[in-house]
Amino acid sequence: MLEVVGLTTKYGSISALREVSLSVGAGEVVGLIGPNGAGKTTLLGSIAGLLQPEAGTVTFEGIDTTGASPEKMLRAGLALVPEHRRIFTDMTVEENLKIGGVTRSAAERSESLIEMVELFPVLAKKWDIAAGFLSGGEAQQLAIARALMARPRLIMMDEPSLGLAPILVDLVFDLIDRLREKGTTTLIVEQNATRMLHASDRAYLLRSGVIVADGTGDELLARTDLFDTFVGG
Amino acid sequence: MFQRTSRDIVAPFLGSIVLFGLLLGGGLLYQMILGGGAAERLVTVMLIDAIIVIGIQIYVGNTGVLSFGHIGFGAVAGYAFAVFAISPSEKLKRIPNAPFGLVDVDMNVWLALAAAVAIVLVLAVLLGIGLARSGAESGAVSATVITFALLFVTHEVARNWPDLTGGARAGLTFKIGQSLDSRVPILLVLFFSILVGRLYAQSRSGRLAVAAREDNLAARAMGVNPMVQQMVALLISVVVVSLGAGLKVYETGSILPDLFFFDYALLTLTMLIVGGRNSVTGALLGVVVMTIGREFTRRLGQDGFEFFGIGLDDAPLDWVFRENLQTVFLGLSMLGFMIWRPLGLLDDWELDGWAWRRFGSRSSVKPEPLAELEEVPTAVLNAEGINVRFGGFQALTDASITAQSGEIVGIIGPNGAGKTTLVNVLTGMVTPQEGSFSIDNRNLTSKPAYALARTGLVRTFQNLRLFGSLTVRENVEIAEFVAQDHRSDRVLRDTDALIAEAGLWEHRDRRARELDYGNSRRLELARAAATAPSFMLLDEPTSGMSDSESSAMIEQVRHMAATVGAGVLVIDHDLGFITGISDRIYVLDQGRVIAEGTPAEVQANKAVQAAYLGSAAPT
Amino acid sequence: MVEILQNLVDGLGRGSIYALLALGVAVIFGVMHLLNFAHGEMITVSGYVALWSLDRGWSWYLVVPLILAASVLTSILIERIAFSRVRGADDFTLLLTSFGVHFVVSSLFILYVSASVQNFRGPGWIHDTFSIGSLKIEVFDATVIGVTVLTLLATTWLLQRTMFGLSLRAAAADFDTARLMGVKSDSVIRGAFVLSGFLAGIAGVFWLMRAGSTTPSGGTDPMLKGVLAALIGGLGSLRGAVLGGFALGLAEVLLRSWLPDGIANLTEGFVFAIIAIFFIFRPGGLITVAKAERV
Repeated sequence: MLEVVGLTTKYGSISALREVSLSVGAGEVVGLIGPNGAGKTTLLGSIAGLLQPEAGTVTFEGIDTTGASPEKMLRAGLALVPEHRRIFTDMTVEENLKIGGVTRSAAERSESLIEMVELFPVLAKKWDIAAGFLSGGEAQQLAIARALMARPRLIMMDEPSLGLAPILVDLVFDLIDRLREKGTTTLIVEQNATRMLHASDRAYLLRSGVIVADGTGDELLARTDLFDTFVGG
Repeated sequence: MFQRTSRDIVAPFLGSIVLFGLLLGGGLLYQMILGGGAAERLVTVMLIDAIIVIGIQIYVGNTGVLSFGHIGFGAVAGYAFAVFAISPSEKLKRIPNAPFGLVDVDMNVWLALAAAVAIVLVLAVLLGIGLARSGAESGAVSATVITFALLFVTHEVARNWPDLTGGARAGLTFKIGQSLDSRVPILLVLFFSILVGRLYAQSRSGRLAVAAREDNLAARAMGVNPMVQQMVALLISVVVVSLGAGLKVYETGSILPDLFFFDYALLTLTMLIVGGRNSVTGALLGVVVMTIGREFTRRLGQDGFEFFGIGLDDAPLDWVFRENLQTVFLGLSMLGFMIWRPLGLLDDWELDGWAWRRFGSRSSVKPEPLAELEEVPTAVLNAEGINVRFGGFQALTDASITAQSGEIVGIIGPNGAGKTTLVNVLTGMVTPQEGSFSIDNRNLTSKPAYALARTGLVRTFQNLRLFGSLTVRENVEIAEFVAQDHRSDRVLRDTDALIAEAGLWEHRDRRARELDYGNSRRLELARAAATAPSFMLLDEPTSGMSDSESSAMIEQVRHMAATVGAGVLVIDHDLGFITGISDRIYVLDQGRVIAEGTPAEVQANKAVQAAYLGSAAPT
Repeated sequence: MVEILQNLVDGLGRGSIYALLALGVAVIFGVMHLLNFAHGEMITVSGYVALWSLDRGWSWYLVVPLILAASVLTSILIERIAFSRVRGADDFTLLLTSFGVHFVVSSLFILYVSASVQNFRGPGWIHDTFSIGSLKIEVFDATVIGVTVLTLLATTWLLQRTMFGLSLRAAAADFDTARLMGVKSDSVIRGAFVLSGFLAGIAGVFWLMRAGSTTPSGGTDPMLKGVLAALIGGLGSLRGAVLGGFALGLAEVLLRSWLPDGIANLTEGFVFAIIAIFFIFRPGGLITVAKAERV
């Protein structure tokens, strides 16, 4: 479904990604783990069109989408839940969700709104409240719901459990499971490596802008050298 | 030392003479070829414009803040000059009700000019405070609007206070016995302006201002207070503008509100932009180019103009060549340069700088390697019980950290652990709700960034913040200036030696933005060391580096710190790097310090492993 | 008491126009970070459209929609020709680009129409008044306030209830994230210029009715008022801009009535000076938009 080949992205003179290749098949939950600064966010940004890669290609559902704008990528069916959630704090929960469905018709949008209420009952209670007043867990759910409003075929999440209390982390992973059941393809960046590996079908380990390991969650969990690789020993 | 004197004083002096000569020579040549009073006057006007444009360049170029207000200052100076210099009998006819007993004031021209400059200086101090405050708070945009407002205030007052200014129609006509019939005063002021512009740009204050223009945050983190430097630039620039404005009024023989208003602001700013706002040479080039262009388009627009014997009036382009074509030309020049070449023809190229690099710069000898300090001056950094909350989110809980000079302390933790918040507290960007932080018992909690650097805590940035258009050497010199002013009790290392120590000797005269990534990092380190710090705070110094580069960095940091006798606080995500470099390590997780100890102790700590791999933390 | 009320009505009338102008400035600043010194050009162009059509004896009822159309069209054209080329540039470039646009537009009128002031007739009711008790209210002021309230309500509806409005607000708050949601940057910026041009058009109708004349630099004054009001309100805040507009209008009227006769015509100068002092104490404006310093 998503095929990334030899992707290199720079920030000024900093090479944040060096010839990264990965693939995500339809219906899979794929984890992307690695230490802070490894280039995970850069990778998602380069796929979603926020950053222009120097080299390499991104192919989504057979179409070359390298360097396409974020609005194009979304219309192609790929959504990104950005790092730090980036919800629109001055807008209400409802408005945030509607923005998520901006590419769709009014009827489809209302349909999806109802779906989101069912999927995230906590949001329904805060429907008319400015999103800035939500707690961390609620805000994260809103960010994910907002991305789902576009009915993406592939959803990418950047550190959805960041800054959440353990019980809310459970909730996020629970949600990932539910999305998997609904057949949504997911690519998730996580710091919480162990849990991510348990929750994903496959995972890639990124370090210093390079993929250093990949395999199924269980395979990677069995790797004893993981701790060292992970923290850079 | 000799090198610097020749670069910063002798070369600009000689360069100013050449620039002045070129401008004057070109003008005289034009006069000779065309002849007649009109040509003569055009040249005179150009020379006066040049003074005012250089005045604006001194502020706009060195601070990077766009100002419309300098023409407003010009208006104040022009009116003050006129009111002071016009004879009392003449004033009695034109402004008999002038306030403050101004009717009776009788000054000679030069005294009047001096008084005008003094008045503008007072006004500039007041406005400068507002500019600095709003500029610091909400960026250059609101500073620009304040200058814009100044232009309108002066215009409104000029139009609507006829008792003082003669109003919008009558104005003040010059009758002081004689009007300006000699170019000598203009030439003197012009040469003075060029010289001041060049010397200021090369001076300590000028270069600190440029550093702040290039990267305000980084400049503050090095101990530069941009507000002070901007104020200095403002005061120097308004003196030059006022002198020019006074001469303009003197030469014109009268002043009306529109003399110093929108049209003149457009003209002078276009001259500055076209030539290159960051350079005195550029400003002068802009004056020449736009004077010629404007004169040419003006003539094109006039009826009966012939160009090499071809009458343009009958041409099919008659609909273009109309009266006032020169204003369209100005507007389009401004637009075109902004869209396609915002830094103008010359960017920051200076005649004397080029000549110095070409002919004056001796191939200096690479300095001997620096020995590490044997005796490290003691210093203690202490952060105690830091609590930071953002809304309901507790970013740091009772975080306490100490460090001694000579020691390297690592701070690690997973993403979201509070590392960034801790850095922000230590660099004065976030005020903790509880807790305090000090160096040698001097409380530094929520002090401005420049005060921290002056007390001895200098930082680097995760995303690299160099002064991009300055050379490697100039980058380090900025730090050296600060060290000389505020850190004189420490061992001050030679700039060139630090550059060599960082492995940048061959690159010393290259612009920082041309360096590759590793060299940029090394420059940032050398620049930090040049502030003679007690402590260096390195924020993710290896982000974006490969493993081998990271390990090379360990040696570099150690050596550089030992050379200036500084303690190091290094924040990084990379446990390998941190354990390799640190004497002691603090581990943060979820806003708390969960472990502290030697690298071996920390690596063996179960809570640390849990925090990193993400199984439920046992604490 | 009556005097205060009288001033209040006058101030609201004046402030209404400023609020519309400021809102247009704020909308553009929100999506492009451009402080638009060319915001008055819509009114300059409208002025000549009014002059041209009124000279032909057309009724104001016809001229008003013409002005609105001209204003919107000018706004779109300026964006296409100039601002679209400097998107994402630094503040310095953006500011001077808009300054350049201002001069090109006004000098084109000097070149092809006339440099001098040209008068046209206002609508017949412009000086009519009616009374509530001892309060004398100009029909004009009442109309301005009424239309402004309606316009602000409609704009609020647009921003709160339509997808375009939501997109615009989202883009103003966080452009990249809005694009991630599928908001098209091109259409949202163009839409912002349409909205801003429309608001300037309404303000322009009243401005021109009152002025009864047009000059090539006729847009300078309204532009300055709009920019200052937006700044007083706090750059980037739409609510602040409207607030700033009313504050500026009231301040002008109140100052004019309080200042002694001799210096009353220096009101504008005083207002500017007060604004400058205001900024020294509150550099972020009335409603400060949080702007994190990115390291």
